[in-house]
Parts: sequence; structure tokens; C-alpha cells
Amino acid sequence: MLKIMKRIVIIFSIFSFLFVPMACNEELDINKNPLAATKADPNAVLPYVMVVYSNRKITEVGTRMIDVWQNVAVTFNSGRDGTTPIFVAINSWRILYTDVLANLTLVEKDARAVGATNNNITAIAVILKALAYHDLTCLFNDVPFTEALNAKEFPAPKFDSQQTVLNGIITLLDDAVVLIDAIPAVGAANVSTGDLIYGGNMDSWRRYARSLQLRVLMLIRNNAASAPAADTKINAILTEDRLINSNTTNAAMLKYSNAPGNQNAWAGLQIRFGTGSNETNRFWGPSAILRGLLFDIGGPGVHDPRLNLWAIPGTGGTYFAQPIGTFPTAATGLFRDNLVRTDLPDMWFLPSEISFYKAELALKGVIPGGAVAADFSYRQGLNETLSFWGGSIPGARITLTSSQIATFIATKAALNSLTPANALIEVGNQQYLEAFWRPIESWNTVRRNKVPDVLAAPGSTVSTMVKRLNYPSTEVGSNPNTPGPKNTDVKMWFEN
Amino acid sequence: MRKILLMLTAFLMGASLAIAQERSVSGKVTSSEDGSTLPGVNVVVKGTTNGTVTDSDGKFALSVSTGSTVIISFIGYVTQEIAIGERSTIDVQLASDITQLSEVVVTALGIEKSPRELGYGVTGVRSEELTNARESNILNALQGKVTGMFINQSSGNLGGSTKVVIRGVTSLSGRNNPLWVVDGIPINNEQDVSGSRIQGGRDFANGASVINPDDVASMTVLKGAAASALYGSRAAAGVIIVTTKKGKASGSGGPTVTLNSSLRFDDLFRVPDYQNEYSQGSFGKYDSSSFNNWGAKIAGQMVTESITGNKVPLTAYPDNYKDFYRIGKTVINNVAVSDGNDKVDYRVSATTLNQTGILPNANLDRLTLSFNVGMKHSAKLKSRFSAQYINTSSKGTGVAGANDPNIIGAQAFPRSLNFKNYLPWIDAQGNQIGTVNPFTNNPFWIRHENRSERKDNRFIGSVETTFSPIQNLSFTARAGLDFDKDDRLLSNRVGTVQRATGDFTVDGITRTQVNVDILGTHFLKINENLQLRSLAGFNYNKRGFIQESVLSTGLSIPELFNPANALTNQATRGFSEQVLMGAYGEAALTYKEWATLTITGRNDWTSTLPKESRSYFYPSTTLAFVFTDALGIKSNVLSFGKIRASFAQVGNDTNPYQLDFNYFPQSQAAGQYNLNQVFPFNGRLGYSASSTIPPVGLKPQQQTSYEAGTELEFFSGKIRLDVSYFRSLNVNQILSVPIPESTGFAAQIQNVGKIRTEGVEVTLSADVIKKNQFTWTSTVNFTHNVSIVEELTAGLPRVLIASEFNGIQIMAEVGKQFQIYAIPYLRDPASNRPVINPLNGLRQGAPSTSLGTVFPDFIAGFVNTVSYKNFRLTATVDGRFGGIMSSSTVAALRSSGSVKETLPNREGAFLDTQGVLLNADGVTYRDNDVPVRSAEVFWGNVGVNLAAEGNIFDASFAKLREVALSYTFPRSMFGKGLKGLQIGVEGRNLALLYAKVPHIDPEANLFGSGADGFGSERATVPSTRSAGFNIKLTF
Repeated sequence: MLKIMKRIVIIFSIFSFLFVPMACNEELDINKNPLAATKADPNAVLPYVMVVYSNRKITEVGTRMIDVWQNVAVTFNSGRDGTTPIFVAINSWRILYTDVLANLTLVEKDARAVGATNNNITAIAVILKALAYHDLTCLFNDVPFTEALNAKEFPAPKFDSQQTVLNGIITLLDDAVVLIDAIPAVGAANVSTGDLIYGGNMDSWRRYARSLQLRVLMLIRNNAASAPAADTKINAILTEDRLINSNTTNAAMLKYSNAPGNQNAWAGLQIRFGTGSNETNRFWGPSAILRGLLFDIGGPGVHDPRLNLWAIPGTGGTYFAQPIGTFPTAATGLFRDNLVRTDLPDMWFLPSEISFYKAELALKGVIPGGAVAADFSYRQGLNETLSFWGGSIPGARITLTSSQIATFIATKAALNSLTPANALIEVGNQQYLEAFWRPIESWNTVRRNKVPDVLAAPGSTVSTMVKRLNYPSTEVGSNPNTPGPKNTDVKMWFEN
Repeated sequence: MRKILLMLTAFLMGASLAIAQERSVSGKVTSSEDGSTLPGVNVVVKGTTNGTVTDSDGKFALSVSTGSTVIISFIGYVTQEIAIGERSTIDVQLASDITQLSEVVVTALGIEKSPRELGYGVTGVRSEELTNARESNILNALQGKVTGMFINQSSGNLGGSTKVVIRGVTSLSGRNNPLWVVDGIPINNEQDVSGSRIQGGRDFANGASVINPDDVASMTVLKGAAASALYGSRAAAGVIIVTTKKGKASGSGGPTVTLNSSLRFDDLFRVPDYQNEYSQGSFGKYDSSSFNNWGAKIAGQMVTESITGNKVPLTAYPDNYKDFYRIGKTVINNVAVSDGNDKVDYRVSATTLNQTGILPNANLDRLTLSFNVGMKHSAKLKSRFSAQYINTSSKGTGVAGANDPNIIGAQAFPRSLNFKNYLPWIDAQGNQIGTVNPFTNNPFWIRHENRSERKDNRFIGSVETTFSPIQNLSFTARAGLDFDKDDRLLSNRVGTVQRATGDFTVDGITRTQVNVDILGTHFLKINENLQLRSLAGFNYNKRGFIQESVLSTGLSIPELFNPANALTNQATRGFSEQVLMGAYGEAALTYKEWATLTITGRNDWTSTLPKESRSYFYPSTTLAFVFTDALGIKSNVLSFGKIRASFAQVGNDTNPYQLDFNYFPQSQAAGQYNLNQVFPFNGRLGYSASSTIPPVGLKPQQQTSYEAGTELEFFSGKIRLDVSYFRSLNVNQILSVPIPESTGFAAQIQNVGKIRTEGVEVTLSADVIKKNQFTWTSTVNFTHNVSIVEELTAGLPRVLIASEFNGIQIMAEVGKQFQIYAIPYLRDPASNRPVINPLNGLRQGAPSTSLGTVFPDFIAGFVNTVSYKNFRLTATVDGRFGGIMSSSTVAALRSSGSVKETLPNREGAFLDTQGVLLNADGVTYRDNDVPVRSAEVFWGNVGVNLAAEGNIFDASFAKLREVALSYTFPRSMFGKGLKGLQIGVEGRNLALLYAKVPHIDPEANLFGSGADGFGSERATVPSTRSAGFNIKLTF
């Protein structure tokens, strides 16, 4: 008996000794993903950030919300009736935090570790972070900012007030300017490949940073209590006067192309779901508000030249606009293939925006010069925006001559000849047109100025135009600090 | 082995029999199944102790008195009583009795054990049960027959997947599919996705569906961790062991040839309850371009017809849904040749499966070649080889989910649309024609011009050698390979609405699995009463995965599937490999054949965990105790009684490449509507960091389980009861925990969570009638289990398991079973009635919440088998009771006004009388008095726009799952050559006996077997019911 037991023990011991050591590390050390990298060049990360930012903005808040502020009469799967389209919220939030901001944080961290020679990379990352936060707060109002992007310390980031976020953006952009000003004359990192906006030109980035600050300050100053501090900063920025001032050399745009795969999604949608042409698909036509701001604006038959750049008339020739929520018919005006085209750039910042801000600020007495100075800036803005759409914009299919532009601008009454209230409405209308086809900027001008007067869509479940998106279920489900839901007609902090 | 044992017992019995010679009768006993001879069969003269057993050729000789009756019995076969009369020879064919426990059970690592020794519950399934009514996916044949198994056929697609969960979900990270082992070799049961599961998901087969029921000798389902502990980590969710058929001697010399043919027709299982009173259109107006059915009342008025534009009287087309789908056809042919002698046995078999689906232009062809040969080289050395090659080719797999032009939902059949107008769908230039409006495709275009093809080549093979140097000691080495090459072509022809420029995806998936086991077993008879069986072994398992796909968009020449013919090409590659090694041992001590204590241990080493935690050990112990033997209970009532108990721990690893923080090169920057930007973008590459934070100090997952059960037989085995209770606790789950995205990351991999699973399984079977040649056996299977999520990480109330559209999510929530988490109606807390929006009279949504569990309270099966002479009838009813599901098909049918429940109150305003309005005091409510503009708006709101609650249903159902009637022709009818002939009629999924969800098959599922998206349906390809014939010839 004992002998047999002994035999078994020996046999199994041999077994164990034979095979167990075979569980050797070499065979098991295969847990490195051969298709991934542990470090990445900012010249490869930045293009992803810029493109995913732009494409997601266009396809979500753009194609699905543009009838909220009524650039168009209707679009697909819209949230104009007061319900937040679930995926607009989920996707916008996810892309901005986990694709845009997270990658930028990593780029920034690596670049800061190198020091001044990488200041250009750091600055670009910081400016783009400011842009992403701008979009986030303009979509959702209060969002995580001070505790965001730091999972180790803040696994459930608190939500900061829009005021905190907007002021934080100003600080981020000040930091970016300091970084840019400290770039050494020689030895700066080459970021020309990764920088799809300016090809590494840091003077342009500095101008963009300051311009973005101005845009955010205009939101902040809209809240009466915050206006004085904002106005001081605005004056400093305008006095420094290093802003975006050219349609051709420093306007901020992400350029799309006609090459399949690199086409602007506004047109991509026309290709994917139809013939490729809005003129034949009849997806989008101008809203009554937009038509009203352009059609017969200088008297019968005298249209804003942008009308012809953006739209074609329907069968009646009148650019007839469908009621909100109704798709175009043959009789309806339609957006032109000059607008809805594959190589239409995503316009991040144009000089005309600044000129119209200046006009507004002069009218409001924030900057000196009064209505006369305002009129100067107003006409400068008109000239800039018409020149842009009439030729400077990459890939324009229809152009305007400078005399056509001048002739139209001459039809415009001088702001100083209007009542102050009407002058502000005219500037507000022009800001709305200036921001045309740029989702967040368009929405902001309407929310900030209440001009033009955009009403709740027919059949809406809320009392006014939609003012905000609800928080995405992804954040609600994972972050106990997410504030409770508010109706989508609850205004933003920056609104009056 | 079993035959030797039986012969031995029978011999011992025979020696003590009294002998009363009067005259001699002799004969031969064969199996009615394949004509093979049966040695060791008991042949006893009724009412006496006079008897004998058949010899190795199945022959017997016995002295009987005239007029006596002999009882012929053999374990696993139906006992027969035969009156001898004047005959001196009787040849008997025994039919197998599937209700009896087979005498050995194949357990982990292919080790055969007596059921008496097993301290855990297993369920064996014999080949006959799998081929009663043939299924192209073997799993479906188990529905209703095995306790503890949740089996769900996802869709009516040919070659579609079937999801199986054994004893409830135990994993939060999707590791709930059981391990499949074929002839000792683990095989892959993955379901790989091309693209998205929910956006145009194609329900391609799960890996194990290639197993050919005609080649299977038996299946054993190892349900508990103790049963599967020797398989290690991979068996934490249970094991399904498949043993393929082996060759054996025919008894008459020469090979046995079996031919088996089935022909079956498939039809729609359930047709939505369409309305046929109102036409296409909106707000009471007919609109020929609409897919909604809120148009005019159909009264023969003249209208412009859809598609043709002809002026026609407005007519309903009640059958356009049924007319679009076809009668599907399945032809299964199997030929098998087997033979054997003392040294060699072999079996070769070829099976063809040819199917045409109910979807137009859908078909599937499968060829299975199977080969099994065993060789006894000497008394000490034997080998076995088995191989299966399976070639599957399918076309026209239907598409489910949303956001894909190829989806044909049940609402795509407007009531006033004549489907004949869709023909033809293409003109001479290759343009799409015959569309209802410019935004939707002609369904025949989708079915005939857009491809959804799969070609799958699978090889599963194993080699096994056993060396027994001395008596009671043997060593076995077994190596196997599972190789799968799965090639897919999915295309949208140029001119497809939503994919106007045309595209195609070529997707190639390769999965390989190499498995080696080396083990030694030793049997020791310590003394008269005590035996020790021990085992030790080593296992090596390596799994590889490669997926290479190219999406080519913008085709110059339609239908030319060459990437160079496309304007853009996006190539993606997936790769992973992982290795698991294990050393294991088992000792089983048996006392007097009535008590067996088994202890096992296994240590795993995995490549996927951090070095410091990659090695982990886990034990199990089981006890089997036949108390009727131990206590000497000899009762006419209780004839057999056994209790069993077990404890086991199983560790588990994770997926490869979870430990590092990585940057991934991006092929695209995704946008809504698949409007993606492709890299290089203007010549630039794009990289993005992972959005998952890698784990720190990751440990293996751990499952601890307990099981207790009993097997009882009453009245000499006429009534049999098998009860199991189990409980398991799963901790340290390796989970990608969603974290607030505002941290910059979407998830963090952590060891979190605890799931407690608990359940009861009962099988009660009885020989209701067993008289002369009539037997009726009835079996009831009952399964109840709950899997409660006891703990997640601190501050995390729930974790997403799978996400659908419109905010419908499958969630693991603390304190509950997996839930459907979705938007409910806003309700008055006091009356629980929906609160109406005073602006428009519509119900409103409230913040998402858990609406109920996706798992049934219990699963039940009821199997009846009736044999009379050579007729055999079996019928299976099964059902699931409790749990909820969401159906977007029902939502779409309602919001489009397609079905009958949308008929009331169509004319004029619609008042939601169930609703309440908030009074001006802001606290109290009153009955709703604000009408909705129309029924169309009401159903649109309930169906699609807002709350998902309106489309969530009780998922309970009962189905007449299987009916098969066969007749075996008596051997005496044939001359030489033909040994057996059996014909039968068979039917599957014949009737939905009970269901709460309207319009659809309650089993329909969007996610397929590869994900844990239980309880979710969205435009799933309709399932089928089938009926057909079967003929089996044995030579």
C-alpha cells in the first residue's frame, strides 16, 4: 500500500517538475499590443484633434441643430422641439472631453516637459483646449472645468458655473499668449505638419488666441455684473490690436477638400443620403428669418449679395421659405451648391466677427467713438464678410467684385443715422449673418443679442427657442456631481 | 468499457440463476439506431430468474418453456417484452431510451466517469435528441431539454447566432459564454462583428454553430465551477463537451453505411398584426411617397399609386409582408461510413446543408467532412485522430439595427403599397428604380444588389495518444488545433440611397487556437472498499486573432470589388494573441462504490495579467454519496438515491493588451451618420490616445461556487428526479468601468464588482406508461436563477453592459439583475399615471431609470416521448417567464400606424385618458383634458420620440419548439444489404403558445451571441418556423 502511494507521488512529482517550469515567462511575455504606440508625435495627434473636433461639430450640432437658431427651416433628427437629441449630447460631450481635451492635455504635458522650444506646441494645445471649453459651455452651460481632465485627483469632477468656465478660458488664452511670446528665436519645435490651421505660424495663433478671448469676453460682458471687468480686458485687447484681421492670411479655418474622405460633412451628408447636391436633394432651404435679412433688403429686387452666394430661388423666383419644421418643395428657396460643397472650410474665426464686435462695443460705449466709430467698424465688417463669401473663401464658385460689394454697402443706412436701439438690432442681424453656417457662433449671437427674434418651433415642448442641451446620459450615469436636468428653454448664464 | 462491465455483472448474475430447461431459443440483439450488435444485453424470462446476457456478437441462447415471455433490457435502451410463442429464434432491435442516464458521463478533459461518482450536476444529451428535428445551429436543438441553460436564437438569419448562458451571468465584462470542447479540444465560439453590432449589424454565426449534429455522439453540459474546474479559467461560464461519433463493428462484418436526408421548409414564425383600413400618408391624407399609414381611410377612392404613379382605386394589400418573404428551404444530407475491429475503428462522414432563406436572395451552403479513427497499437499504446473540416458559404444575410440602408423593418410595408410595383428594381444602366420616395431604397434592390456574403473555412482536429506502461497507470497526450478563416464581403451598390457612391467592405478574420494537454491517470485499489483515482496534467493553450478589413468608398465601376476601383480606402487591422498554461491535478477517493470524494487543484499562468499576478491557483472539492446503497435502503418506492455537494474556486484572466497606455493610429475621425473624415487628412496622419486608463495592480477574477443536489429514482426508476441548488460569488471582476468623460477618459480598467448567482434546477421525468410495446416518457425541466450585482465600485450605481439606440441601455445595477435602463414616462407619484404636457397633450419623459430585468424568473421545458412498436413521437414545449425586453420594431409599427392598435380614435383629436395634468398648485393632478392633435402624434410620441417605456414589454413566452414523428421499419422487411430504414416528419418552432410582446418573436435580439445585449430588439430579421421530412437508411 505504502509502496503504491509512494509510486504515485513520484510519478506526479515528475510530472509537475517536467511541466510546471514550462510555464515560463518568455512564452507569456506577449502582452504588448503590436498595433499601438506608447508615445505619439504632436504632429500626428494635433491633426486628429482638429479634424475630429470639426467633423463632430458639423455633423452633430451642425446638421442636427441648425434649425434651432433657424439658419434653415428644418433639418434631420433635430432637437428644435425642445428635446435634446440624445446622441448630439452624448457624442459632443465625449468627443470634446475624451478625444479633443484628453489628447491636448497629453500633448501639452509632453511639450511643457521639453520647455520653451516646445512653447509653440504647448500654446496650440492650450488654445485648442480653450476652444473646446468654449464649445462645451456654450452647449451645456455649467461643465466640469477646474476639476476636469485629472482623473487621479478628481475621479468625479465637479461642474463649474459658466462664469467660471468662461473666465477660465480667458486665463488659458492669456497663458497661451505668454507661451507664444516666450518662444526662442531659434530651436523652436517644428509643428508645421500637425498644425492644419496655420501651418505652425505662431503670430496667427496669437491673433487667434486674442480673438477667441474677445469672443468669450463678449459673452461674459453680456452678464451685467461681469461686464465691467470684461470691458477692461476688452479695451486692453483692442488697444493691443493683434487680432485676426485678414480673410486670407490669418482667418482661422480648417480646410476641407474635394478629395473623397476629406470632404466637409455638410456636403458629405448630401452625398451619402442623396445625389450630392442640395440643389437637387432639396434637404435644406433658408428659413423665413434668414430670407427676411437678405431678400429685398435694399428695396425691391435689391438683395444682400450673400443671398445669391448662399441660395437659389424656387420655381416662383422668390426664395420662398417653408415654415419651420417643413422640408423644401420645388417652390422653396434652397441653399446653393456654392455653400453646401465638399471643400467648404470649417470657419473658426473670421475678421468680420471682430469688426462687428467693435461696432457693437462702440454703440454701447464700451470703446470710444460712439455711433460714428461703430458705423466705420460695421462697414468694415460688411466689407470683410462680403469679401470673404464673395471670393476669399477657399473654393468659392461664385464671386463678388469689389464694386458689387461697395454698391451694396452703400445702400446701408449709417448706424449713426439710426436710433441706438435700431443700430444695435442692425449690428445684431449682421452678427447673425456673419456667423451663418457656423453652429455655435450662430446660436450664441441669437442667445446673446436676442436678435433676430427666433421663436420656439411649432409644436415645441418648451416655451422658447432651445437654449441648451441636456447633459449626456454617459456623464449623468457616471458622475454623481452632474447637476439635475433642466428644461432646454432655461437660458444660459451669459444670456440677458 | 461499459460493455465489459455489463457483461461482467451479467455474467455474475447469470451464474447464480436457477436453470429450468424445457426448450432452447436463440437470437441476436441489435440497435435499432444503426443496426450494430449489442453485447451484454440482459435476456430474462418474465416472472423467473432464468436469464442470460448476449455475447460479444449480440447473440444469446436461453432455455424457456413454451408460451413464456422474455424481457430484454439494456441500459440506455427501451426495455422490450417479447412473447416467444413457438419460435426458436428471435432477433430483437432495441431502441435507445434517451431519458435514461447514460452509464458514463464525459467530464472535464474527456474523462469518463460513472454518474454515481459525480458530486455536481451535469446534463448529458444524446445524439438522437440533437437530430430529432435538425437544426443548422446545434445549440437550438438543446432548447427546453437542458436545465440551467438560457438559450436564445438571435434572429431568423440563415446561419445566425445563438446565445447561451449557463447558470446565469457571472461576468460584467462579457465573459458569459460557455467554453466549447470538441473531442478534448477547446474551440472558439466567438461571434465576430464586421463594423457595428447595432448599426447595420449582421448576425453571423457563433463559432460553435459549425458543429454538425449528425456527427455528435453526445454532448455534456458541465454547469458548475466544480465540474469544470480542471479546464481552468476558461470554463468559468460552464463547459459544453462534444464527443463526436466513433466507428464500431457492425456485427455482420463489413462497414455500416448510414444515409440521412432531411428536407424542411421555413416560413415566417410571426407576422405583425397589421391594420388594413388606412392608407399611406399623414393626418388623414393619402400620400403615395409615405411609409406612414396615417393616410386616408381605404374605400376604393381613386389615387395616384406609389411608384408607378398610375391612377388606381385605393386598396389595402394585407399580405405584402408575407408576400415579400419567401418559403425557405433546408436540405440536409448526411452519409457516414463506419467500421471497426479489435485494432482499428473509424468513421467518416460527409454532410451537406443547403438552405434558402425566407429573405429573398438569402442562402447558405455548408459542407462538413468529419473523420474519426482509433488505433490500438498494442495492449499498452493506443491513438485516436479526429478531424472536421467545415466550409460555410452564405449570401444575403439580413441586416438589423439602425442607420444602415440595408435594414428592412416590419414598418417598411405600407398598407396601401402593392409590392409588385417594386419590380423591377434596376434599369438597364444599373440605376435603382421603383422607389417609393428618393430617401428610401427599393427592398428588392437591397436584397439583390447589395451584398452580405460570408465564406468560412474551419478546421478542427485533434491527435491523442495514450500509453499505459503498467496496469492502472496511463499517460495521455492530446494536441488539437482549431483554425477558422472567415471572409466577408459587404457592399452597397452605386446608387443605393444613403450610400450613393457605392462602397464595399472586405473583412477577413482569422482565429486560431492551439491546445495541448499532457496528463497521467492512475487507478489504485487500496483495499476491497477503497479506490483512489488520481490524475495530473499540464495544459497549454494559445489563441490568436487577426482581423483585416478595408472599407472602399466611391466606386468607379459598380460591382467591381477591387480597392483600386474606389476613391477612398480605409484599412484597419486587429491583432491579438494570448497564452494560458495550467498545471492541474485531481484525486478521487471512492468508498464501496457509494461515496466518492474528489479534490482538484489547478494553477494557471496567463499572458494577459501583470507579471506579479499572472500565476493563480484554485481548488475544488466534490462529494457524491449514494445513500440508498450506503444505508441499505431497499424500498419499492425509493429505488435509488444520491446526494451530492461541491465547492469550487475558479480564477480568470482578462483580454490581451489591457495593461499599457497606448496611442493608436486612427483611420478616421468619426462623425454622425457615418460622415467620417479619413486619414491621411490632407496628407496628415492622425493619432489618438486610448480613452481607457490602464489598470494598476490587476488581479485575476475569482469565482467561488457551491452546489448541492440530489438524484432520486422511484418505483424501480419509473420516476426520476434530479435537483440542484447552486450559489456562486464572483469577485474582483476585471471591468472597464465607465468614468465621467469629463476626466478626459471614458473608462478605467479595475478589479471591481461582485455578482452573486443563485439558482435551482429541477428535472423530473417519468415513464408515464410502459406497457407491452407502448411507452410514454415525460420530462419537465425547470430552471430558476438570479444573478444579482451586489457591488460595483464606490460611488458607481451602475455599469453599462450594452448600449442600444434612443437611450436604451442594458445596465448592471447594484442590488439588481441586469436591467433595461431607459427613459420612462414622467408619472404622478401618487397615482403612477403619466403626466401630460399641457402644451400638446402628450406624455413626457423623465430621467432614465431601470425598468426591469432582462432575465426570466424561470425557464421551463416539457419533453414528451411516446413510442409504440416502431413509431416514436417526441414533442418539446419550452418557455421563459418573466423579464422584460424592448422592441423598436413594435415602436416603429405603432408610430407608422401600421398595426391594429393604432386604429382607435384616428378621426379627430385624441385624448390620452390614462394621463393626468398638473394643477396650478404645482402639487396635485387632475384627469387629462388636453387632446393630442391626432392619434398619429400620440403614437409617434409613444413609439419613437420620447420615452422608451412605451416599447418595453414583458418578455415571457412559451413555444411549441419541436415535434418529431418517426417510424422505424422492422428489420424483417429488408433483405440483405439494407439494415435499417427510418422515416420521419419533423417540425421546429411550430407555434407561439403564449407571449406578451406583440407582433414579434420574443426571442429576437439585436446583439447576437457576441455581446451581453439581452432583451433588446431592433429591426431583427424575422425568425422562422419549420416543418419537413427525414429519411434514414442504414446499410
